[in-house]
Amino acid sequence: MKRRLRSPRPGLIATALAVTAALGLSACGSSGDDGAANDIAGAPVAGGTLKVAFFPDNPTFTCLDPFQTYWIEHRTVIRNVADSLTDQDPKTGEIKPWLAEKWEISADGREYTFHLRDGVTFSDGTPLDAAAVKANFDGDKAVVAETGGTAYGASYILGYDHSEVVDPSTVKIVFSTPNASFLQATSTTNLAIISPASYQKTSKERCLGGYIGSGAFTLASYKPNELTVLKRRPGYAWGSALSENTGEAHLDTVEFSYVAEDSVRTGNLLSGAVDIAWPRNPFTVEDRELITKSGDTVESRPLPGPASVFFPNVTAGRPLADLNVRKALYKAFDLESYAKTVFGADYPVVSGAFDSTTPYFVSQADKLRHDPAGAGKLLDEAGWKLGPDGYRYKDSQKLTLKTPTTTFNVGAELIQDQLKQVGIDLVLDTTTTAELPAKYKNGDYDLASSYFTRADPGALQFILDPAHANSKALATNATTPETLTELTGLFAKAAQTTDPETIKQGYADLQNLLIDQGVSFPQFERVQFAGVSGQVHGFAFTSESFLKLNDVWKQQ
Amino acid sequence: MTRYVLGRFAQALVVLWAAYTVTFAVLYLLPSDPVALQLGAAGIETDSLTPAQLHAAMAQYGLDRPVLNQYFSHLWGFLHGDFGDSISKQQPVADLIGDRLGPTVALSIAAAALSLVGGLGLAYLAAYVRWRPARLFLTRLPSFGASFPQFFIALLLIQLLSFNLGWLPATGVKGWKSLVMPTITISLLTASMLAQVLMRSFDDTLRQPYIVTARAKGLSRAAVQWRHGFRNALLPALTILGVLVGLTVTSAIVVETVFSRNGLGKLAQEAVLAQDVPVVLAIVSLAAAVFVFVNLLVDLLYPLLDPRIVQGGRRKVASS
Repeated sequence: MKRRLRSPRPGLIATALAVTAALGLSACGSSGDDGAANDIAGAPVAGGTLKVAFFPDNPTFTCLDPFQTYWIEHRTVIRNVADSLTDQDPKTGEIKPWLAEKWEISADGREYTFHLRDGVTFSDGTPLDAAAVKANFDGDKAVVAETGGTAYGASYILGYDHSEVVDPSTVKIVFSTPNASFLQATSTTNLAIISPASYQKTSKERCLGGYIGSGAFTLASYKPNELTVLKRRPGYAWGSALSENTGEAHLDTVEFSYVAEDSVRTGNLLSGAVDIAWPRNPFTVEDRELITKSGDTVESRPLPGPASVFFPNVTAGRPLADLNVRKALYKAFDLESYAKTVFGADYPVVSGAFDSTTPYFVSQADKLRHDPAGAGKLLDEAGWKLGPDGYRYKDSQKLTLKTPTTTFNVGAELIQDQLKQVGIDLVLDTTTTAELPAKYKNGDYDLASSYFTRADPGALQFILDPAHANSKALATNATTPETLTELTGLFAKAAQTTDPETIKQGYADLQNLLIDQGVSFPQFERVQFAGVSGQVHGFAFTSESFLKLNDVWKQQ
Repeated sequence: MTRYVLGRFAQALVVLWAAYTVTFAVLYLLPSDPVALQLGAAGIETDSLTPAQLHAAMAQYGLDRPVLNQYFSHLWGFLHGDFGDSISKQQPVADLIGDRLGPTVALSIAAAALSLVGGLGLAYLAAYVRWRPARLFLTRLPSFGASFPQFFIALLLIQLLSFNLGWLPATGVKGWKSLVMPTITISLLTASMLAQVLMRSFDDTLRQPYIVTARAKGLSRAAVQWRHGFRNALLPALTILGVLVGLTVTSAIVVETVFSRNGLGKLAQEAVLAQDVPVVLAIVSLAAAVFVFVNLLVDLLYPLLDPRIVQGGRRKVASS
């Protein structure tokens, strides 16, 4: 089959480009200012449908089950469908009562007793009592066993042994080893409480939405990567005190759609087809300008947990096995210009292994300063000499670092250029998500990008400690055995005490160690953005930077 | 005639089987570790499992049997309409495809119809017009239409028709309105190809001696082109019809992604990225089946247009 197509004349291409440019310009000027600003809101109006446009659904693991899913967008859905025992204050990080009115933690940190609020029911009418809570933790333990410990929620109930129903409104959770971050874990979506009947279903059925919660909304339908619909739960009266509205939600319906193209998602917001555009990667500077120009607002909050960082492969024989090369790498990265160039002038500059919203965060900014001359000096000392082509060599080996990347992004190219300035050749190895595990397993990389969202520094052990990590290979390659021993010691120190000062000290030492030993190479602070229509009021982030809908209402 | 039809049917079946087998071989016999790959798609890293767990996981996905055994059981399942379970999507492949088939079929039919109307119309017009500049313009149009990248056209259309004018929804599957832009995007390429082939075949046909005869008998140009030229010129265009329908399916991958339409194209893209082998295998086989079916249809239509084909005339018709 031959296609003999002549190429168009240059004149036509020029015309086409001119037309596009004109369209782009008129797009900037034509979106009408049609909404009152969010701050001149009157009394909330009940009713209406809120439309939210998400990033595409998880390509490798379709799952909306609270305990099993790690997908950020799904956790927003879950937050509004299923309540948790406690809530976390986004401003202070404090743990506040929710389904549990109060709790006691035993002196050895192994027993948590929760006193449940009365009158709470799941949307199928069954009461949310001590037996229901026990059914959740036992069911979760079964999922951990079923998946060989790889279920995402496994990290939240580390060391869980069993639960005891003391009386209908009192439940005791017992651990075999202390787990100091468990109280924070009870505030997350991953340990949201679902009805005991949900655990009669298989873990796969729960992934497809086969579960019942006690939240302000019920899950009406879940069509993966197409549409998720929530309906208001009549009679809801036990919202967390962190919301203004603790009763029934204002909105009738919430529709989450999934849009792959960033520009289309933003355009949908500007044209009024959706009320909230919720991107995975931060908005571009241009998109933010477009949104604010058209009378909508841009909300943002850094996601708690490890920042977007590179973990090295320090196995013998790789360039990064040498600590001095790792130290030089810190000086080669220009984090300030990365934040400014990729995300805009006002974007926060990453200043440590964790995002700034993580509790116990300690800034390491002075160790992460851009210093190309210092990097060159360290590399010279390590035996990597500049060659005529501007790259460094040692025993006629080029200083090449390989990083797998699954999506095209300008940030990776910027980093490539920054490393080139000091003579390091960074190879961007394009690959599919499905091939990553094999790459890690074969150690066929030098820098692997990873992150994790949880408002607790202990989250990092589920990347770095081979005993718990989802990718054992990535964890094993990231540290030397000595450093790993130190790391696990610090994690344990923070996890096995109930003294806040000890926890604070342990996590401060941990954050120092991560940079001093070259374990974590921060790239950028992960910020959750949201473009919110001028018609929408009461927008709020949870402590995990998810979207909370209790206070949201729409002008009719 | 019967022999011709039976021969075509047999050929179609062989092509279908070959397509399935090649896809299976590519997916299962690549120098990669299908076990790690498929478990990786399910979010399980093989090195974090104990040998017992690994074996259980392999048994769950039927990966512990010899390849030939897997091939035949897969094939047997296919013949029964059982395509196995998706690895990444936690549900049977048949359900997935059933869910996603509608939007893509609607899109393919709409795009094929629009391509036919657009392509035929343009070529017919170009053959009829005598004024040189206009004729030149019309014959250049298809190369122009076929040179635009589809994602670019799609984004342009969204910008203009959704964001600026607000006439059509930019994303999703919401009635006929959401079908307009994806259809135009796909048809631009397929209509251009069809028009190109048809223009050239009009050129050839209208130079044939029987056309001269018809004109000498005093028929008008319009009548000659309609009654004597069109049917003969249609043959090569019919040949590429199969290719065009195939193209609407492959175009669906790009177009459905941009327009967030949950169809087979998007499923194919998701499955390939996740290396969800059972889904990829089912989609490729399905696409091959459509392709084979359309070509079979074309083969059976030939004799109606040109009786010489079956009677073993000298004329050869390319059949892809």
